[in-house]
Parts: sequence; C-alpha cells; structure tokens
Amino acid sequence: MRDRVSEINTTIESIPDVKLIKPFEQSKFDIQGCISVFVEGLEQPLNFDVSVSPQYPFKSHDTETIKFTNGNLLEYKHIMGNGSICIHTTHSPVLSEKLGYDITSVKAWIKKYYIKKDTDTHYEHLIVPDKVFKDSHFAFFFNEVAYSFSRNQFGFIDYSTLSNGVFYKENINSNIIQKFYDINRKVLADVKWNFQLKSFPISSGLFIFLKDAPSKNQRWIFDDWKEFEPLLPQDFLKFLHSVEKNAQKEKGKYLPLFVGYNITNAEAHWQVIMLEIGNFPIYGEKVNQQWLTMIVGNRSIDWAITRNCSYKYFFGRGRLNEKLTNGKILIIGIGAIGSIVAKTLIRSGCTKVDFFDYDIKEPENVCRSEYSFFTGISNKTNDLINELCLISPFFEPTNGGYEFSEAFDFFLKSHLTDTTIKKEIEKQLNEYDVIFDCSADNDLLYLLSQLNISSTLLNFSISNHAKQFVCATEQNRYPFINTQFNGRVLKFDIDELYNPTGCWNPTFKASYNDINALVQFAIKHINSKFEKDKALRNFVIETDDTDCLTIKLKEF
Amino acid sequence: MDKSLHLNTVIKTHQITKEKDLLDKHIQKKNEVKEALEKEYGNNVYAPFNSGSYAKNTAINTKFDFDLVSPFKRNAFGANGTLKEMYEAVYDFLYDKYKNDAEVRKQKVSIGLEFYADSDGDKIKIDVVPGRELNQDQYKDDENLNLYVYYKYGNIAADSERIKTNVQSQISNIKDRADKEKDSIRKIIRLLKVWKNTKYNYPSKSFFLELITIKAFDNGAMTGSLWNKLKTVIEYIKDNITNDGFTLKDPGNSSNDLADTLTDSEKQQLADDMKNMLDRIEENDENIKTYFPENPKFKEEDKNSYNTNGGMPVPPPKLNFG
Repeated sequence: MRDRVSEINTTIESIPDVKLIKPFEQSKFDIQGCISVFVEGLEQPLNFDVSVSPQYPFKSHDTETIKFTNGNLLEYKHIMGNGSICIHTTHSPVLSEKLGYDITSVKAWIKKYYIKKDTDTHYEHLIVPDKVFKDSHFAFFFNEVAYSFSRNQFGFIDYSTLSNGVFYKENINSNIIQKFYDINRKVLADVKWNFQLKSFPISSGLFIFLKDAPSKNQRWIFDDWKEFEPLLPQDFLKFLHSVEKNAQKEKGKYLPLFVGYNITNAEAHWQVIMLEIGNFPIYGEKVNQQWLTMIVGNRSIDWAITRNCSYKYFFGRGRLNEKLTNGKILIIGIGAIGSIVAKTLIRSGCTKVDFFDYDIKEPENVCRSEYSFFTGISNKTNDLINELCLISPFFEPTNGGYEFSEAFDFFLKSHLTDTTIKKEIEKQLNEYDVIFDCSADNDLLYLLSQLNISSTLLNFSISNHAKQFVCATEQNRYPFINTQFNGRVLKFDIDELYNPTGCWNPTFKASYNDINALVQFAIKHINSKFEKDKALRNFVIETDDTDCLTIKLKEF
Repeated sequence: MDKSLHLNTVIKTHQITKEKDLLDKHIQKKNEVKEALEKEYGNNVYAPFNSGSYAKNTAINTKFDFDLVSPFKRNAFGANGTLKEMYEAVYDFLYDKYKNDAEVRKQKVSIGLEFYADSDGDKIKIDVVPGRELNQDQYKDDENLNLYVYYKYGNIAADSERIKTNVQSQISNIKDRADKEKDSIRKIIRLLKVWKNTKYNYPSKSFFLELITIKAFDNGAMTGSLWNKLKTVIEYIKDNITNDGFTLKDPGNSSNDLADTLTDSEKQQLADDMKNMLDRIEENDENIKTYFPENPKFKEEDKNSYNTNGGMPVPPPKLNFG
C-alpha cells in the first residue's frame, strides 16, 4: 500500500505544471492529497483535492475512480454537485500512465470550460438525485405532444403504470403519461403510444409548465421546496391546495406532479415530483386580510426519474433508412423469417407494420422465431402483435390479423380472373411502400407476380440448413426463385429435412442463429441500398462452412 | 449448358410473329389514335408514324414499343406557341378522348396511353410523341422535329430543354443495321430488350440499347457464338458507359448525345448490372436463364423436369422455406 502512495506522489511531481500542495496519504479507504494545476491562460494555478479509490487505475462500473474536487467551480460545466470534475479518460492498467491521462484530462477541462467557458452543442440534462419515495423509485416516460404549453399553465394528467421492477437493490415502478387536461378536465393533448399502452388503466396526476428549468446553475435540480418560491404562481399553489382538499379520502396515497420546461425553443422536458396526499408542501397564511398559499421550507423534494421516450430519442441510437421507417410495411408470412423481419423492423424504427398469416403458433415454433413459449398456442398474427407492442411504444398495426389473412389468401387464389377483385387487391397492396413476402408460398409468389403492384416487393426464402438465403425483388421474381431453387443453380441438401412428429409436411432444418444471421445480413444489404438511393436487385446470400464460415452476397 | 442454344431459344419464344393477334391489336389501335390526331389537328399535323421497335424490326413479343410520332406544323399552336403548349394541348386532347378507355399519362417526351385490358385480357400501350417542325412547312424537306421534355430525362432537365431530332433517320439507321446484321445486331438488341423486361421501369430506353449495341459492334471485331457476341456487348457497356468522354450520338441529330438520357448514377447502375450479369453467368451457366428467360407462353415443355425413381414419377419437392 505504501508503494501505491509513493508512486502517486512521485508521478504527480513528475508531471509538468502540476505541484503537490499536500502530499498523498492513505486514509481509511482512499488515498487523498491536494495538487495545483497550471494551464496557460490562467492567472494562477487551480487547486484540487484529489481522492484515489482502491480500484484505481481501473474504473468502477462506468465511473473513474479518481476525483479532482474544487468547491469553487460549481458554476462551470461538467462539475458534479460536490465540486468534482466529470472526466472520462482512456484505459490503462499502469497507475502512472493512467494518472498522466487523468491530469491531462483535468488540464483539458480547465482550458475548455474554465478559461474559454465553452458550451457544448448537445443539451445536458439537469442532475436529478435518485430517491426512494414510499419504499420505491418511480419512473415516468413522456412523449412529445402536438401542443405548445404556455408559461405557468397547469392542470391534470393521466398516467398508467407499466410495470414494477427492481432498480439496483430497490423496487421501481415505471409509468407512462397518457393525457394532459386543463383544470376543467378538458383534454389539451393526448400522448401517442401503441394501442396496447393506450388501453392500460389510468391514474391521475398534476402538471405545471414553468418554461424555465427548476435548477441551480442550470446544472442541478432544486432540492428544497423553498427554491420553488419565485417560480410557482399563487393560483397554482391554490390549485394544489384544492386538489389536496378534494382528495382527503386518498390520504397517504401519492400523486405525481409533472414539472415542464423548455430545453430548446422547440422542445419541452418534464421532471416529476412525488407528492403525498395529506402532506403537500404548502400551508395557508393570512397576509393583508387575504389567505395565501405558501410553500413549506426546509423540505426536500422527492424527484422521480423521467425519460423522454419520443421517437427521436427512443430510436436515437440507430434506426433503418427512412424508406423503411417512414414507410407502410406489409409482411406476408410470419414464420421463422417473417417474424425475425418483423421484430428487426420494429426495433429499428419502423412503426406502420402489418402482417398476413393464417397459421397458428405452436410450442415448437418458438426455438427459431420471435415468439414466446409463455403465450402458448395462439394465432401467429395475434401473438406477434403482442410481442411487438412490448418492444416499441410506436408500433401501429392497422390491417391484417387472422380473418383478414384468410380472406386475402382466399380471394387472391380464387378470384384472380375477376378484374374488380383483382383491382381491389392491387389497391390494398399498393397502399404499402414495402411488402416482404416471407411465406415461401410459391403459389402466392406466382400470383403476386401477376398483379400490378407499385410497392417495393421483396420475396425472402431460405434453403435447408440455411445454406442459402434468396431475395427476389425484381419483375422476374417468380422465374428467378424457380431457377435458383428448382433449377441447377443452388446446391443444398434435400434429404435431411425435419419431419415434425405426426405431420406429413417436412420443414427445413436450421436454428434461430442460422436463420437470423442471414436475415440480418439481407436487411443490412437492403437498407444500404436505400441509404445510397440505389435500385434493389435480386440477390443470394451463400454460406460456406467447409473451413472458416464465410457468408457471401451475390447480387444479380 | 450451351448458352448460345438457350439464347436462340429465347429469341425464338419472343418472336413477334408468335403473338400475331396481339400485334394486330396494337396496329389497329395505333391506326385509331393516328386517325384521331389527324381528325383533331387537320392541316396542322403531318401524317403520324410509328417509330417504335416494331418499325425498327427489333421488337419482342412481350413488349411491343409502339411509339406514335405526331409531327406538328410550326404554327399549329399559334405563331408564338411554345413546345410546352403543344405537349399540354396534345395531352388534353388525348385525355379527353381516351380517359374512359385508358390510363393517360405524361411521360418524359411522350404521352402514354395504356388501354384497359380487353376481353382477352390483353393491354395495348401506345406512346404518342408530339414533335414540331423547326420552321413552317420545313418538315417535308428536312424531317427535323423539336420534342418537348416533360420531366427530367437523365441529365436533360425538365421543361428547360427541347430535343431537336430527325425520327425518320433514327428509324432507318437502326432498321438498316438490324436488317443487314440480323443474326448479330438484331439478335443482341432483342436479347437486351428481354433482359430489360426482367426489371421494373429500367431507365435506359430501348433506343439507347439499340444505339449502344451498334456502337459496341462498331468498336471492334465481333466474332464467335451468339453468347460470345452478347458477352462482348455486355462487357463494352460495362467498361464504357461510365467513362467521362463516352457519347452515343443520335442518328437524327449528331449534336444530341443519348448518353445524356441517363444520369451518372443510372449509368453506374447499368455498369453494375452488366458486371453482376457476367459474374453470375460465369459462376453458373444456369443463371443465364434468369437474365434471358424464355417467354413462358411459348416455351417448349421440358420432358425431363420430373425425377423418376424406378419408373415411378416423383413430383418435385418443396425446396424453399420461410
């Protein structure tokens, strides 16, 4: 241990423009000392208390295990509430090297944020402490709404509880906001979520839109109710009083208060305070013959967790090309390939996705598709809608379903010569921007080739053992598939098919991993074509595992 | 497999004479539209004529390409009438006349008439190309016409340019070469049209494919089998179409460059398609059937398509899965 302390002292003394003010010593847990750091542009060096944790030079979770603290720097960017600088540096297992990186990072912070007073281009959210309220954490998810709130506008909200979970070692209750109302319960804005989320049971809460953030130094959220005094108007405090008075029977229950403010001219953000009915932080006081509602001081605020789950943030880390995400999509056939395509599209930002399938999900389908054992035997369409609603709050199935799929299949296969019905089918299909035919139904492949469809149509199918994946998307889809599979082009095993017990209809052998690897490869290729605005061509993805696995895409 | 044998079969199944009834319907409909234009415009129009691939003897029976050029007199739409006014007036006339019988669409330089399917399920498609002589009464001497560009045509901007050309020269130029070299140029042109039909709305016009085929033939010795000749043309397109100095002169007006009817990205796509085609056929001869399919309507039955097992016929199994 002694060696560690002396190594830190020696290293610090060797770094230019850094001086030891108080040499490092071992305290109960950490090694602590004080240093001064000089950077060109400073009139005099800045002092920092430095604390080095036992894990150093390794990080603890995602946090650096060295702290540089100066309580006089609170007004500057990237300073934590205790005055420590927020730094993230590169990894090194060598203490002296890591210390060098960290000091360089402190110097860079001084130059950028202390001397130049730079502001970052991206908005940095207020720091909100994670607090337990009544034995649980609370999280509230909001979405942007087509309504512009004015300063000090207040009223009621509806919210729904999504689930109860575990947050580190404590409980957490997650919720979504559903609607905003004015004080007379007239709807101001309906928050858009998928139809299942919209059908959840409703609870009530309150909101006020402040416009300005309830913060100290634009950095930390208020921690005491008294700090709200200059911001909360008297009529809102009276509203709080009347709400509490009318909810006396609910004493002890909680009521979330949404506090809104602008983070840019066009974007609102919401924080939530947990209020306990019967214990609101207000009291009445007679001033000049008039009763006023006042805010209680020395009372800490119970902030909940909030997340902006609007589309741009929900899919901010990555989504597919707009041709897919903005498009209306139909997937015909949601077996192994189709269900993987559906889930990939939904996770990647697509919202308007319908599917046709008249098949039933059986337990043995689960191992290589996107269904769960939990839901038992069920129509594939119903089951997949439920699965996808769990993933994306923006999923909007509009058409399809079991009965629609049955009718579509019947009319297409029996009435193709009826020009009126043919036109109606074409009209229905042309409402989709992209159609994925993953049914491997060659009758359907033929019939679709006889229709006048302007949508982008992609036919996906796979050979036994997932040796090849074929995508047909051009005018010649039908002959192309026939030539590839039934001609003398693709070579694959046709003897070792899987025969489900009690079933005469053999299916292909391949695992979820085999299939998914090729489906993702195909979608990536198609997306790349859309990104470059290039025309789609038929293609075959061939695998070869004779030596190392190779996957090769051949475009036609 | 013998690729040339397959290609000859493809040409055979695409012979226009195999669809005589459909051809007759096209000719009849073309004559009807011609008469309607003559009746409407009287002395203001010279005799409309077919400039499509049927006229050039390069047609295939899956797409007839009937283009009806309508040569208007210089003052047909007023002494100060614009080409745009000509185009719009002809569109309005055709729309009023055929709106109940056909889809009437504004296209790049033509107005498309796609007649609804008749009782046999046949659809007739005629493209009317309005053109205007350069000076009053000059057409009978020089056969030159100005065409209006309705929307962006390759690198030619919409509404900003006119195309001056001599359609009769275009027809005779292609027809002469195709007739003289019918076992080479004409076959290759027809095969490239068959290939084009495997795609949705391919940007290169048939006229473009005709000219580039002739240019490839003029580029050097074209020897060997039909496949070798086709391969040489495909390689020529792949290697030249994206070159900066590459031009395709319009036989109707040498200052028109048909290479301009494709944008740079369309030229790149064409080069990529040619490369993919050669690569795939190189990998497996059977892939030639994907690019150059027989017309299934006139395909001869493959007697060996079913496997046999000890004399008992076995139906082909399902081999593609989802």
